[in-house]
Amino acid sequence: MTDSSPVTQPRIADALAGQKVLLTGVTGFVGEALLERILHDLPDTSVVVVVRPRGGATAEQRVQHLLTKPAFQRLRTRDGDAAVDGLIGTRITVLEGDLPHVPELPGDLDLVVHCAGEVSFDPPIDDGFATNLHGSLALLDAVRASGSRPHYVHVSTAYVAGRREGHVGEGRLDHRVDWRAEANAAERLRTQAEDASRTPDQLAEFLREAEREHGRSGNLAVADDAERRRREWVTKRLVDAGRERARTLGWTDCYTFTKAMAERAVEEAAADLALTVLRPSIIESALEQPYAGWIEGFKMAEPLILAYGRGELPDFPGVPDSTIDIIPIDYVVNATLAAAAQPPPPGETAYFTVCSGARNPLTFRRLYELVRAYFTENPLEQRDRGAVRVPQWDWPGADRVEQLLRIGERAHKTADRLVTHLPRSGRTRDWAQSLDRQKRRLEFLRRYFDLYRPYAEAELHFSDTHTLALHQSLHPDDVATFGFDSADIDWTHYIAGVHTPAVTSTLRALTGGARRTSTKRTIETSANGNGRTIAVFDMDGTLLPSNVVESYLWLRLPELSGGARTREVVDVARALPRWLLTERRDRGAFLRSVYRRYEGADYEQLMRIVDEHVTDIVLGRLSAAATRAIREHRAAGHLTVLVTGAVTPLTRPVAPLFDEVVAAELAVGNDGRCTGFLATPPLVGESRAAWLRHRAAQEGWDLSGSYAYADSASDLPMLRAVGNAVAVDPDISLSRIARRHRWPIEDWHAVVSA
Amino acid sequence: MSRPGFVLDVDERTPPLLVHSGESFRLEEFPLGARVVYPPESLPGVPDVDEAIEQALLNPIDSEPLPSLLRAGMRLTIAFDDLSLPLPPMRKPDIRQRIIEHVLEYAAAAGVDDVQLIAANALHRRMTPDELKAIVGERVFRSFFPDNLVNFDAEDRANLVHLGVTDKDEDVEISKRAAESDLLVYVNVNLVAMDGGWKSTAIGLASYNSLRHHHNSQTMVQSRSFMDHKHSQLHSSAWRMGRVLGEHVNVFQIETTLNNDAFPSQYGFLTKREWEWSLRDQALFLGAKRGIDILPGKQRRKLFQSMEAPYQVTGVSAGAVEPVHDQTLARVHRQQLVEVDGQSDVVVFGLPYLCPYNVNSVMNPILAACLGLGYFFNMYVGQPLVRKGGAVILHHPVPWEFSTLHHPSYVDFFEEVLSVSTDPKVIEQKFEEQYATDPWYVHLYRTSYAYHGVHPFYMWYWCAHALDHVGDVIWVGGDRRAVARMGMRSASTFADALEMASDTVGRAPSITYMHSPPHALAHVK
Repeated sequence: MTDSSPVTQPRIADALAGQKVLLTGVTGFVGEALLERILHDLPDTSVVVVVRPRGGATAEQRVQHLLTKPAFQRLRTRDGDAAVDGLIGTRITVLEGDLPHVPELPGDLDLVVHCAGEVSFDPPIDDGFATNLHGSLALLDAVRASGSRPHYVHVSTAYVAGRREGHVGEGRLDHRVDWRAEANAAERLRTQAEDASRTPDQLAEFLREAEREHGRSGNLAVADDAERRRREWVTKRLVDAGRERARTLGWTDCYTFTKAMAERAVEEAAADLALTVLRPSIIESALEQPYAGWIEGFKMAEPLILAYGRGELPDFPGVPDSTIDIIPIDYVVNATLAAAAQPPPPGETAYFTVCSGARNPLTFRRLYELVRAYFTENPLEQRDRGAVRVPQWDWPGADRVEQLLRIGERAHKTADRLVTHLPRSGRTRDWAQSLDRQKRRLEFLRRYFDLYRPYAEAELHFSDTHTLALHQSLHPDDVATFGFDSADIDWTHYIAGVHTPAVTSTLRALTGGARRTSTKRTIETSANGNGRTIAVFDMDGTLLPSNVVESYLWLRLPELSGGARTREVVDVARALPRWLLTERRDRGAFLRSVYRRYEGADYEQLMRIVDEHVTDIVLGRLSAAATRAIREHRAAGHLTVLVTGAVTPLTRPVAPLFDEVVAAELAVGNDGRCTGFLATPPLVGESRAAWLRHRAAQEGWDLSGSYAYADSASDLPMLRAVGNAVAVDPDISLSRIARRHRWPIEDWHAVVSA
Repeated sequence: MSRPGFVLDVDERTPPLLVHSGESFRLEEFPLGARVVYPPESLPGVPDVDEAIEQALLNPIDSEPLPSLLRAGMRLTIAFDDLSLPLPPMRKPDIRQRIIEHVLEYAAAAGVDDVQLIAANALHRRMTPDELKAIVGERVFRSFFPDNLVNFDAEDRANLVHLGVTDKDEDVEISKRAAESDLLVYVNVNLVAMDGGWKSTAIGLASYNSLRHHHNSQTMVQSRSFMDHKHSQLHSSAWRMGRVLGEHVNVFQIETTLNNDAFPSQYGFLTKREWEWSLRDQALFLGAKRGIDILPGKQRRKLFQSMEAPYQVTGVSAGAVEPVHDQTLARVHRQQLVEVDGQSDVVVFGLPYLCPYNVNSVMNPILAACLGLGYFFNMYVGQPLVRKGGAVILHHPVPWEFSTLHHPSYVDFFEEVLSVSTDPKVIEQKFEEQYATDPWYVHLYRTSYAYHGVHPFYMWYWCAHALDHVGDVIWVGGDRRAVARMGMRSASTFADALEMASDTVGRAPSITYMHSPPHALAHVK
């Protein structure tokens, strides 16, 4: 292309005037930027967008919402809100659909810019093919079916070049992989993985793991978890398959692999259309348009920049002098529109690599220095810790980083095993929380190291001769607004002055503004105390630190004489290990075996013992915070309900606080003595949730507005049954679940009472 | 011969002085020139307690001898002080037991068979059977418990009677049984000058409806001091109510006084002047201090709570309430009064492990504040030890700790009320009624061992006079969060506390340290 000086083209706005453009992926980063530029700078071009309805919002509503985003602010400032809101239905036509389910398209399309695609680097292999390859083909089929003969611009990625080294030109990819065979294999892999996940051995394994973690929450919770594990297992297998298949064929990951396959498929399917393939490298925030630093969501380098700024990225597996090929989004948009304005003749596919590495390379070391300089100058603030000191990288090479990471992972695993077996307390919960945080960090590092390693170590040099020529062919009046010569990027300005500040601004807003506080419980007063809202409490471990064995002894010992008393204690102590084992497996069975010991006890006598001896113990241990919470609910007009596996007499001291008490009812024989059996099954695990739902249906309780308080993972079904769950001094596994669900965690027994 | 109390001026020769601090004590250096108020040494007890009781019952003041007031078929009620007196609890036999036994003997001799014993606990918690037994003794307990030996229940509407109002429109509502008896015998332990007189019956047997007239921020701020009943609005109110009560029921008041033997002999150093400590005392101090400091919390509390005082009885008076109480006060003053010349900028108190409301329980922050600002601060006649706007320095760890059995409403008061305001007036207006009538607190007061829902308010009102008078309250070694919740400040050391107080009282303040317990009552001129 250096042989002739480029021909100056008409202005882009003129070239595309009167055209109808189909845009896919407008809810994505590139698509949104393209839509904004067309609306802002190409006044006579109209747009058709294909958007998938999501989360109850129709496609049109999603586009309406899209137009309120910051990118469209300058358009609103220039044209006014009314004009922008009026675009839908006039310049913008919204079609509902997604890939590969493309709706019927208008027959007068002049241009298709396809930038929808799988954005994850490691999708399950079949998903990668479905979106990137089948999606593109389906779009082409729909275009063809509509009767349109548009210029088809396919947005791909520079990294379709794969794991080669050195110079990469702009042209048809050089490989002989059969995309059809690969796409079919990917679909078969899904079936195989699904089948493999359903073998009896494999299912038994899922069940075993689920039981170990959730055994005490009941069968349904275990089943749910086992199924979740199965699905995750299938996904992981397909993700692994994608990565490994990509690597065996010479690509870095499933993303670039399926993108490359898609290019080949599109080249075949669009052989009779004007086809342009556009290959941007790593797209980052805008240099100038719609405004400097505009970015949507986090792309590739941002998580790393943030992690580095937080001091959490101790080193990096990259080669310091290799190039990281970054390109600002507005350069990609400009190049796309310029290419769109110059359709090649059908059959002569035009390829453009939009990159910076060819003529203005940024090395990893330079990027690191710029980012480091930025954070040294403008450190992030960490809550209560002051400014973060950013680490200095030694570039020890990938192997050493890998080794460090492995040590970290192993240490975490050991610590985690330890902490789950420690007795519960505020401190163990804090440990568990910090371990979880560390785990998230390690997982983050692992994920990014694995993903970026090929990129960071890549020694690719993209050539952008065609793209430069395209830039040079711009009408002189377009150069300022539509230029995309990457040689003019000033990296110091872009990285330290635009990109990094943009990336960190959200984080700064979070730490700088209102302090993020932990989830707090608020009690809503129910309107005129209609009794539809309930607050249900567990007793042992929640209202007071106690357990059924201890309370059994409170009840039985007072009526026994000295010798019998010792015997009883010894017997109970002997039974303890067995009970503990049973309890891990099945709480109901455990309760039954403890309650067997009540056989022969005089029921009336038990009641008296509670009044005379046990009330003091219970009230002396009763958490003040618990009483306060119960009373707050009463004051708010809620019904208070106690649901416990403890025997009824033990609930007497706290019964006045509750409108309803549901406890284990000891069966009493005609002689007034306990039979050692229960009159009703104990309410534990799922049966609590079932009871709640049953009563709610009977009484008209509104469970979604109701509250539940409990301390153990075995109470999960009950906590899940209501809209406001509160974990009280939870065991480690419940505290993890609570954090995941953002349930408030309260410490009711922190203040020791005597 | 026991020596009178005196005021020491700290000079170069003064050794570090003993300071109580909750369930421990420490030796503290005081700045040169600081004054230290030492209580008089223990007075000798009466040689024969039974003889003294007999004498009092047979030769009462302004009353017929007890036997002539008793007759068959009459209704006799014996009310007595609850476990808030004396502190620490008295080594057995308790003086109340001995008196009650004498009274019961006369009653039996006279053929009285309708006898009821009532603990005059007002809104204090009920006592457990064991606690009742410790006061009245095994024999009485066995004969009368549970039907005729009871805790007063101020929420038992059926057993209260409204006797009318005073000339200041104050309701007099007390125990129906006591009010409708032919004779009400009251057995008191007059540990400090605040106790006894009409306070025994008109307060000890009264309901909230009656108590609210004097247990409020307005009256309490005007009680200067609680230890000087003629200048205490609280006592004036109780005296007015007592006179209404006296119109309805014949009250035979028996008051007793104790000496200053507040600690068992192994803690003898607690009652000695430091420069007179023998080697044995020094060794005992060191041993006790070390031992206590290494004990785990529960054991330490148990050790302190099991302490019994070898108090000796310095006198028994019986007869008409007011003249009996005059005699009693004279004896209390003889044991406790110390002449002090003028006020100082700073007053220092070392608060011990026990106050009237945490017997067998936890001293929570509110009780600690009440002990320091309600009781110790008020241990004066004339004028406070500290000048208006001066600083109070209190030694106590103020742990954020509550007994949910004994003090359930305190926990909520601390969380919900003090977090809103620490001003007694505001608190009273905004929250008192709600706490006083809360059904759950009432339930616990009546059936469990909980202080009444309104009780923490009263504790806070007891502090009202001090809070009104002083400019700064600093706790040495106090839990920062707990102290801050009460609107006060905490210092790590005594020196830091003085440093902090310098904002209020300057850098060279005059300092008075009240070396107590045992009790001293400062007569500040």
